[in-house]
Amino acid sequence: MAKARAIVKRLKAVKNIRKITRTMELIATARFKKAMDRATEAASYTKKISEIVADLSKADLSFSHPLLQQPEEQTKNVLLVLTSNRGLCGGYNGAVLRHVTTRLKVAKKSGEELAIEVAGKRGLSYLKFQELDYAKAYTNFEDKPRFDEVEEIADRYIEGFIAGDIHRVDVAYTKFESASRQTAVLETLLPVGSLGDEDESEAGADQGVDYEFLPSPEDILEEIVPAAFKARLFKCFLDAAVSEQIARMVAMKGATENAGDMISELSMQYNRARQSQITSELSEIIGGAAALE
Amino acid sequence: MANELQLVVVTPETTIVDEPVSALRFPLFDGQAGVLPGRAPLVGRLGCGELKMTTAGGERSYFVDGGFVQINGPTVTLLTARCLSNDDIDSDAVRLELEEATKRPAANDADIDARFRDQDRARAMLAQNKK
Repeated sequence: MAKARAIVKRLKAVKNIRKITRTMELIATARFKKAMDRATEAASYTKKISEIVADLSKADLSFSHPLLQQPEEQTKNVLLVLTSNRGLCGGYNGAVLRHVTTRLKVAKKSGEELAIEVAGKRGLSYLKFQELDYAKAYTNFEDKPRFDEVEEIADRYIEGFIAGDIHRVDVAYTKFESASRQTAVLETLLPVGSLGDEDESEAGADQGVDYEFLPSPEDILEEIVPAAFKARLFKCFLDAAVSEQIARMVAMKGATENAGDMISELSMQYNRARQSQITSELSEIIGGAAALE
Repeated sequence: MANELQLVVVTPETTIVDEPVSALRFPLFDGQAGVLPGRAPLVGRLGCGELKMTTAGGERSYFVDGGFVQINGPTVTLLTARCLSNDDIDSDAVRLELEEATKRPAANDADIDARFRDQDRARAMLAQNKK
């Protein structure tokens, strides 16, 4: 009976785990939908910004802004790592942290000063495990990053960049490409490479509008560059939040399926064990009866 | 339509307003500006202050905090970092902010500019909250 009892115990445990993973999958699905809605709503802001930039570029103006300028040397850099606060989301954090490792190796070779800033407890524990120092840690970003919080970080970068304390800002995060495709990437946000987004050509479609600029194109440019940078950084956070939920959803779906497979296997094993026990008991009785004759 | 404008107010987080209005007034960098249907195309910098609009359902107002405006044909788009409805303004918190800004020492031009900006913003918010 001992073996069958052990199997029953395991079976119960696996069933409980399946319940948990199934629930987590459902929660992740709900959160993913919410995060996705937020990301789509935020997209209209970025789209409008690039539209205005496209309008500005038609106004014949040489783009010069401190944030656009490449610094002469790149020795004081910042790496912002966006990971999740919670685990159980498959390879989500691992993929981002792999980028961090390669970036750190490059930094070690070139001898630059790289300040690591990390969002999310998972990235934090990774750095602690690797015994690496980090400059700042944020654990306040959950599945709904707020613009105010991101703006604070962005303002600090802008200030540092203009003052020359920061030469480059890289962000390692998971980019959301579509609901079935997210990739971990390392992107340079400062200096701002090109202002227009990938969809600039689309935004510039309505040509021939002669705008009046108030107060002047230069002035608007001066304001719009930091705004564009902030919007871009915010998008990184939103993308990371959406991707995290998708990663968790997929991981938990796999876990639920595996648990289901395991349950059917275990119940088969249990049935066999019970059957063999009954058979052996029967044969013992029959054997005993035969011995008495 | 010829006598209506489509007003769109977007913040980085969400789209707050997207509806037809018959007239609106918003704060430009140097003062209030009014827009009626048929306005020439414009791209401008916003200041902070009251956004007032006249819709079919009456007048409504919001507080906008900097950003840009783009007017293209019948569409008016306001891009702003923050847009609050009157009820969302926490006047006690703003008053504290104003006090903090007034007391803050300002040693150079940039600090003074920042202080004036914060003061102006807080005062604009308070003025609107009283209405």
